Amino acid sequence: MTALRALAALTALTAYRYSAARSFAVATALLLTACGSDGRTPMLVYSPHGRDQLVLLEHAFERERPDIDVRWLDMGSQEILDRLRFEQVNPQADVWFGGPSSIFDRGVADTLLAPYRPEWADHVGPGGIGPDDLYYPAYRTPAIIAYNNIAVPDSQAPTDWDEILEPRWRGKVLIRDPMASGTMRAIWGSILVRSIRETGDTAQGMAWLRRLDAQTGAYALNPAILNEKLLRQEGLVTLWDLPDILISRNKGMPFGYKFPVSGTVVIEDGIGLVRGAPHPEAAREFIDFVGSVAAQALAAREVFRLPARRGLPPDSVPAWVTEVEQEMKIYQMDWALLSERGAAWMSWWDQHVRNTGARAYPK
Amino acid sequence: MTSSRGRGLIIGALVLLLAWLVAWPLVLTLVGGLRDAGAWSLVHVRAFLDRPTELAALWGSLWIALASVALAAAIGVPLAFFFSRYDFPGRRILGAMVALPAVLPPLVGVLAFMFLFGESGFLAHLVRRIFSLEAAPWRLAGWPAILLVHGYSMFVYFYLFTRAGLASIDASVWEAAASLGASRTRTVTRVVLPLLRPHLVGAALLTFMTSLASFSAPYLFGGGFRVMTTQIVATRLNGDDGLAMVETTALTLVALAALWLLRRTDTDTGAGGSKGTAPARVAFRKPAVRTLITMTGWLVVAVLLLPHVTLLLVSLVPAGTWTTEALPPVYTTGNYLTLIHDPVRARPLVNSLWMATAATVASVGIALAAALVASRRRSGGARAIEALLAMPWAVPGTVFAIALAAAFSVNQPLALRFVLVGTLLLLPLAYTIRNLPITSRALFAGVRRLDPALGDAAASLGAGRWRSLWRVTLPLLRPSLVAGATLAFVTAFGDFVTSILLYTYDTRPISLEILSSLRQSDVGVAAAYGVVLMLVSTVVFALGADRGSSG
Repeated sequence: MTALRALAALTALTAYRYSAARSFAVATALLLTACGSDGRTPMLVYSPHGRDQLVLLEHAFERERPDIDVRWLDMGSQEILDRLRFEQVNPQADVWFGGPSSIFDRGVADTLLAPYRPEWADHVGPGGIGPDDLYYPAYRTPAIIAYNNIAVPDSQAPTDWDEILEPRWRGKVLIRDPMASGTMRAIWGSILVRSIRETGDTAQGMAWLRRLDAQTGAYALNPAILNEKLLRQEGLVTLWDLPDILISRNKGMPFGYKFPVSGTVVIEDGIGLVRGAPHPEAAREFIDFVGSVAAQALAAREVFRLPARRGLPPDSVPAWVTEVEQEMKIYQMDWALLSERGAAWMSWWDQHVRNTGARAYPK
Repeated sequence: MTSSRGRGLIIGALVLLLAWLVAWPLVLTLVGGLRDAGAWSLVHVRAFLDRPTELAALWGSLWIALASVALAAAIGVPLAFFFSRYDFPGRRILGAMVALPAVLPPLVGVLAFMFLFGESGFLAHLVRRIFSLEAAPWRLAGWPAILLVHGYSMFVYFYLFTRAGLASIDASVWEAAASLGASRTRTVTRVVLPLLRPHLVGAALLTFMTSLASFSAPYLFGGGFRVMTTQIVATRLNGDDGLAMVETTALTLVALAALWLLRRTDTDTGAGGSKGTAPARVAFRKPAVRTLITMTGWLVVAVLLLPHVTLLLVSLVPAGTWTTEALPPVYTTGNYLTLIHDPVRARPLVNSLWMATAATVASVGIALAAALVASRRRSGGARAIEALLAMPWAVPGTVFAIALAAAFSVNQPLALRFVLVGTLLLLPLAYTIRNLPITSRALFAGVRRLDPALGDAAASLGAGRWRSLWRVTLPLLRPSLVAGATLAFVTAFGDFVTSILLYTYDTRPISLEILSSLRQSDVGVAAAYGVVLMLVSTVVFALGADRGSSG
């Protein structure tokens, strides 16, 4: 009898709680719509591209389509994947904008994306295109060697991966934690793929990474910390991606960069339509817009994105794009191998290489 | 009879409600660690046990948590005595300001430590200049850095709880001990500290759990030092969800073991008789002593506010201009103007305000009900309630958020699972649950310190149960209520680790705006948000101190 009563009480209580909470939610929702909505279609973008670029594209797109209200949430590409997984039953986002194809591939495996072939599909690729039109590349993000150019004159900066292992950089290298960063994983992957191509296994590559560990002054788990440490000369050299360094430079930070002469990895940064998107029409319009000549040039001019679209009119893109495309040598990365074995490599590195360099290679 | 049956019903209902909100998502997580490819399997558990790095991370989390408790107690308890017992000019306001480390915002607050104590920070510059050193004298990294941040941010638990406890110890207790010939030291060690035990145990528990679940400090300063929270995130990022679930479970088990051990020591001390007079403060007649005490008070507060001042400084610096100088060379108000100009950037402040308020009201309500029906009982149900209330901090915020999101991303009404993901409800609900340990520790300790005779007296004078609750119990509980509510609000208001997984466009909180600015290297704008967050939290604390200390 007591148990039954307790159960009844619980049901009443949860029902009450639920309905109270729901009416609270409804009231809040009403309040929000009352002050927020203006009749435009709200279209939500999940993107790791950062505020500057998202605001830029939001305004440019809304000028073309005043009936659409572009909203965005700015988060890491791994978080986007997590979020879309949870939200499958109640999708919130319309567009997934940004992230390496290795992460988009995991989205494909979890059926988080819907097929859409953008108007500009023929002008990009062949790399970075998902199966069945599930995602397309919007930008290309090269990895580079960056340094503080007050402390390190351009003429003395390292120009290739192996030069970072020279004794003069001992303890001066900053590394963004590779477990948490798509860019770093791509660099680690390229070193291990090179090792496999040259010797048949990853031992040589892991040994190289161990020597890099010996050179490393600090691992930064967060890009903001990496930036601050480089700015304040707590370290002088780091491995990072080109757009972020160019943006920091544009904000007045004393950073220089070099393309590794032996070749560097270039990540294809994707865009895709979310499956079950609440506003698919607006989403398709936005995807078309991102790859348009005007928007690609705009992103290159204002926020240093290297366009994935080929054959842009030379007068529409800034000079740095042409320079970069001439200067950088692309390392032909085996992306499929990275997608397949990357997790195991990273896990091995984390357990057996991280923090072992100083002992293996004493000063 | 009816009264005890009614109480039983409430206890039963509370147990079930808490089991649903707190334990159920975690059980689902535990199950996740024991499954692989749709079948039961121990493969992830074995992977966990086979890796020395995993055990190193677990050990790291454990000893850092124990050291944090010791450090926080060593700072917080003496400070609480100092500001409760001694009378000097500015005592009230300084006493409230000591709690301000709790309002240091996430991410940028920890960043302020880097500007202050880092190898290129202000202090290192000073030391270098004084001793004309070539290189930086130290590095802010690894476990010393984590402990520094923990000790600084977590002593507030000991401070607030001890002060709440001291406020509820009647003057007659001190007087009785003194008149029986006990020295002041003896009174403190033999009479006051034992009376404070529920509060101290509560603070130790909160510190231990917070430290175990701490993410920001190891995330920003850990470097190569392994703790479980960053390890879990790394494992998840590596796509190994099964192993991450086992890691979560391992950390939860450590926390539950600690919880159980501390609960065993937390025996009922019995309530002290109270005449309702506030304890007298020690005033100093000798001007020299009085000056010394006053200066000590000001100095302590000045040191504790250094990170806040640093943050304010950073918020006034244009991007990229402060590099190797000891102090910023240029100042601007541009970072604040950026905030004001864009209405989209002002919204997170409103969001955080309403969500933190709702969550505080809800968690205080639940904790009050639980404390009233369960704190003086030793029945199974009462114990279950207390254990369930403490549980949300036994798991790292990130993981708890994952568990919540997973549990409420399915519509199975029969399993009591509803789709809350993507709705306005999930984040305030998460704040509420995450706040339960704070509010319930404060209220359980408060109720235990109440003299049951007072309730009997009220009843014998003809007061009904509600009247006695309203006129006798609640006023006496005010210090605990306010302490719990203040901490809960500030925690929810500045929350980062839970929010990052559960926010939606319409509930994006202020901490996510800070992160978003940091992502763009707009440290100045991030700091400006941090300062705004700090100011609101400070106002809440000030109101709390005003309402709580006089009770």
